[in-house]
Amino acid sequence: MVAFCYLVVSGVHIFLDFPELYWGKVGFRGYDAVFRLSDWGISWDEAGAMGDRRWGRNYHFLFAWISVINGMIYVGWNLWNKYFHKNLFLDRNELSWQSLKTDFVDHVRLRAPEGASVGRYSGLQKISYLIVIFILSPFMILSGLAQMPAFTAISPELIDLFGGRQTARTLHVVCMLWMILFLVVHVVEVFVAGAVNQIRSMITGKYLVPKEDAE
Amino acid sequence: MKNPVSRREFLAGAGAIGSLLLVGCDANVYLPPKVRGGLMGVSDVLTMATQRLMLSGQPLAQEHDVSEITKNFPTWGNTNPRQEDFQGLLSGEFVDWRLPVNGLVNRPISLSLEDLKRLPQRTQITMHICEQGWSAIGQWTGAPLLEVLRAAGGVADDARYVVVDTFDGWYESYDMFDVVHPQTILAYGLNGKDLPLGNGAPVRLRVERACGYKNLKFLKSINVVSSMEGIRGGTGGINSDSNWHWYAGA
Repeated sequence: MVAFCYLVVSGVHIFLDFPELYWGKVGFRGYDAVFRLSDWGISWDEAGAMGDRRWGRNYHFLFAWISVINGMIYVGWNLWNKYFHKNLFLDRNELSWQSLKTDFVDHVRLRAPEGASVGRYSGLQKISYLIVIFILSPFMILSGLAQMPAFTAISPELIDLFGGRQTARTLHVVCMLWMILFLVVHVVEVFVAGAVNQIRSMITGKYLVPKEDAE
Repeated sequence: MKNPVSRREFLAGAGAIGSLLLVGCDANVYLPPKVRGGLMGVSDVLTMATQRLMLSGQPLAQEHDVSEITKNFPTWGNTNPRQEDFQGLLSGEFVDWRLPVNGLVNRPISLSLEDLKRLPQRTQITMHICEQGWSAIGQWTGAPLLEVLRAAGGVADDARYVVVDTFDGWYESYDMFDVVHPQTILAYGLNGKDLPLGNGAPVRLRVERACGYKNLKFLKSINVVSSMEGIRGGTGGINSDSNWHWYAGA
């Protein structure tokens, strides 16, 4: 969580120093951009004054390593002890359209789970966690690597896979926005479900199930 | 001989490179001239060691098709050094420009632009990647740095870094891993013409697997050394002197 915040903040610093996004292999100031911060009222110079890319690069790469090492331990450990199999992989029942629809309505109405479903992830939750762990996170790492000059020699195929270095850079930003969206929804849901109990359970692994029919 | 890396700094990086030492390669390939203190140093060494391991076969950087060349290759940073010596050479169209190659070479020399052009030549269409975020594709023509060192009779056994100085006061160092790479060239041509002033005339360096800040413009001199200690900030480059990564693979 701390590493994620650092990655976002340092990434924003790096971006502010060159506040345009392009598509394809090539992109520079004056080239056709898909996004220009100056179109949103912040000029190039103002953005540059807000961003410190030296600080940004130093911390971006440091916390990228911390996140990658942390992520490898997390995924490795949970595959090893079958945590993902037990708690995250969906069974046939949960994959049914009806079940997902009910989940979705419950979530949108911010209805907290009750009874037997407390203490386990719902189908929708499982899908979103799986997307973050196995799609968005690897995508962030690969689109980051595809921007590095060394990878023009290590694996030009990776850069071509993204459709060019500038596309990789743009998708790196888009994917970051998706992860922030996930985080915001996740935090809202935690509060809906009772913040103290939830956060205690994240750290200790124990969750107090409220007694039913306690009149 | 004094150890170039302090014990504490070495221990910080030792965990990361421990396994690499087993590969039997020279550990210097995985370490910058001076490892930064603290976690930042660990991160630097992890990055450099991982990338150098993946680059150990010395693969070429991707070369592009002629059709992909960027028209009007952008100019960035300094586009015309105001230093008097440079302005004098510029007004003489660099006829009097000389590139001294000194230090731990067997036969120090001074090359004119014509001398450089007579050395074996390499042309490559590659992508310039600026650490700030932009990229552009250019066709570079020049003499491989290795050929320049050969013209100077080769280097001494204890040579470890090639230090390059520029007319606008920049300097960077390159270890032998990058120096011997075929795409590391002293470029005097861009897209079939003489290297334009804004792109670093008369000669700039191309180090294709590194960010823009290692691809120095307006070359003034070359010096081969065994250690970066005592040279300016001692970290091996103007960028690392002000707390950037020395290794610029990213």
